[in-house]
Amino acid sequence: MRVVVGIKWVPNTQAVRFDPETGTLIRRGVPSIVNPHDLPAVELSLRLRDEVGGEVIAIAMAPPPASKGLEFVLGMGVDRAILITDRVYAGADTLATSYVLARAIQKINAEIGDVDLVVFGQETIDSSTAHIPAQVASWLELPYIYYVKEATVVGNGRVRVVRELENYLEEYELELPAVLGVAIRALKPRPVSLSMKLRTKFEKRLITWTNNDLKLDPRCTGLKGSPTIVAKTIDMPEVPRRREVFKARDAREAAKWIVAKMLADEKTRELLYRSLWGGRG
Amino acid sequence: MSSKIECDKLCPEWPCEQPEEFRNVWVIVEAEEGRLSEPSLQMLTPGRKISDKLGEKLVGVLVGYGVSHLAEEVIKYGADEVIVVDSEAFKTYYPRVYALAVVELARRYKPSVIFIAGTKRGREFAPYVANTLRAGITADCTDFDVDVNSRDVLLIRPPFAAILLAFIKTPFRRPQIGTARPNVFPVPVRDESRRGEVIFEKVKVATENKMRLVSRKEIARMEVSVEKAEVIVSGGKGVGGPEGFKILERLAELLGGTVGGSRKAVDAGWISEDRQVGQTGKSVKPILYIAVGISGAAQHMIGVREAIRVIAVNIDPEAPIFNQADYSVIGDYREVIPALIEELEILKARGPDAAKEYMEWLKTLET
Ligand SMILES: Cc1cc2nc3c(=O)[nH]c(=O)nc-3n(C[C@H](O)[C@H](O)[C@H](O)COP(=O)(O)OP(=O)(O)OC[C@H]3O[C@@H](n4cnc5c(N)ncnc54)[C@H](O)[C@@H]3O)c2cc1C
Ligand SMILES: Nc1ncnc2c1ncn2[C@@H]1O[C@H](COP(=O)(O)O)[C@@H](O)[C@H]1O
Repeated sequence: MRVVVGIKWVPNTQAVRFDPETGTLIRRGVPSIVNPHDLPAVELSLRLRDEVGGEVIAIAMAPPPASKGLEFVLGMGVDRAILITDRVYAGADTLATSYVLARAIQKINAEIGDVDLVVFGQETIDSSTAHIPAQVASWLELPYIYYVKEATVVGNGRVRVVRELENYLEEYELELPAVLGVAIRALKPRPVSLSMKLRTKFEKRLITWTNNDLKLDPRCTGLKGSPTIVAKTIDMPEVPRRREVFKARDAREAAKWIVAKMLADEKTRELLYRSLWGGRG
Repeated sequence: MSSKIECDKLCPEWPCEQPEEFRNVWVIVEAEEGRLSEPSLQMLTPGRKISDKLGEKLVGVLVGYGVSHLAEEVIKYGADEVIVVDSEAFKTYYPRVYALAVVELARRYKPSVIFIAGTKRGREFAPYVANTLRAGITADCTDFDVDVNSRDVLLIRPPFAAILLAFIKTPFRRPQIGTARPNVFPVPVRDESRRGEVIFEKVKVATENKMRLVSRKEIARMEVSVEKAEVIVSGGKGVGGPEGFKILERLAELLGGTVGGSRKAVDAGWISEDRQVGQTGKSVKPILYIAVGISGAAQHMIGVREAIRVIAVNIDPEAPIFNQADYSVIGDYREVIPALIEELEILKARGPDAAKEYMEWLKTLET
């Protein structure tokens, strides 16, 4: 079984800024990590491989420093990794990203061997769109499902998955090849092991593909291949709040003040009357 | 007006179409168990606003099985017109089948805008719709507007940790597709007297032969959901453990509400994932949100924007939550919350007449 898992190299900070001129993310000086929500996807891929044999190939479309992220998942036990990187891929929205990833998967099919399963995280911490799995499935015309918590290979080229919606737990069977989006917190990712990391170093398990390899029309990639553009960004407008902070002498007084405020405030008074006495204020 | 699209500059994978060939604002309305889903009705609110700004019709699109009788309802909630596809082919939901039905309708009617509720299903099928049409899609919008010059729709979303708002447009592609999380917009007021046209359509979508639903069972969720609660007592890392949440539950019960939590509380396993409030959790709209041991990170607070009042209890005088709450007290919740429960119980026992004393006491504080 050959599993391809997509990982994204994301800035690890909550103070990321946009360049207001270009509307693009300023990555300089910001430490990056593998998108944490992709690690359960890596774990799921590794478990399937451990169960039925085969290999897991991690792919990331990203600038060259993302090789660090691919080394990280190689350290978790991924068999090989492909960094897909080229200037013409820069500034891609999810459609243009999914296009490159889908074409890379087709190249893996052609040159390395047939891909049985494509696995992604649920969403990224920087853009959190959850678009990529469905978009890749659309380019490749494959069945797909989101919010997967468990997956098992059930023989004759099928995978059985459990997924959770708001109010339902569902079980599906998908014919391979298929695409899965793995739920946040679905599985606890295994740690990086030192021996795996060393294996990475010596066996050159990480390769790079540029557009010389993929030969995609530059009108379809990066900023040019992105239908969505960021017109402008502004700081998040604040919600007007009263911001009254009471410095109470003790907890009793603090409690009394909260109750008094709830009674004095017409927005909460009726609610309090209803919950305490079942009537109106 | 938008300028003419130069086809040779576009990716050849995309059909070359001129934006002015597209009109009307669509809202994909989902039905489940014979009822319209509330999150998709909520999308009629921004749908109405944008269709009015564009001077175009607001069209509800209802795809399902045994859903025809719901079409009139969609009009009462604000649509001018409803396109219904009612077929046994949609008895079981499969993302591709559902998406391709919307794709076929969109190719036939050429809407300029499609809004889809960001329920889990919506987040699953919407990008398949967009990609198959080679159109742009913007997830988790918190607002929409129209650029007065170009007439492009602005899809407004908070990227990167909820500290910014990005205005996104798709000038070269139609339809312009956006999703929004449940509860970001209110359900429009139902107007019994509204009338509009219902169009019954058929689509030729292949059945899903590559996947099948094996089983489906309802998850037993206790009490009120956080989305619906009027009072939410929400706990964070500062609550310190599951025993702390027991105390919050008592307060919630007394106020006729429910408990919620921050991501750190969910990660710690103190409260279930469906109660997480914030960017990766739920957006909530209670009358009262009581944040206990929550620092007030932007990603948490974005889920609380629609709360009418926020009360915060935090031990750290510098906690950012104090700038984002209406009424705050600095203190250890392990003392403050039990005292608050006691105070409310006393008040409850004494009856409404006792309320006056609190008001008078407040006055003495102010002087
Ligand atoms: C992409 C992304 C998405 C995210 N999505 C979400 C989301 O959906 N929801 C969410 O909540 N977070 C989300 N986060 C995480 C968010 O950034 C914060 O880390 C998180 O909200 C912090 O949780 P907290 O306030 O419970 O914990 P902390 O920030 O650790 O705060 C704990 C607070 O408890 C106080 N405290 C400690 N002891 C006591 C006591 N005895 N009494 C009273 N107060 C006490 C402390 O003073 C402190 O202010 C997201 C982050 C990212 C990057
Ligand atoms: N540039 C990328 N390279 C590889 N995988 C990606 C990339 N961007 C997103 N993904 C995958 O797609 C998932 C969803 O991402 P998103 O749609 O951006 O929220 C992520 O969790 C990753 O698994």
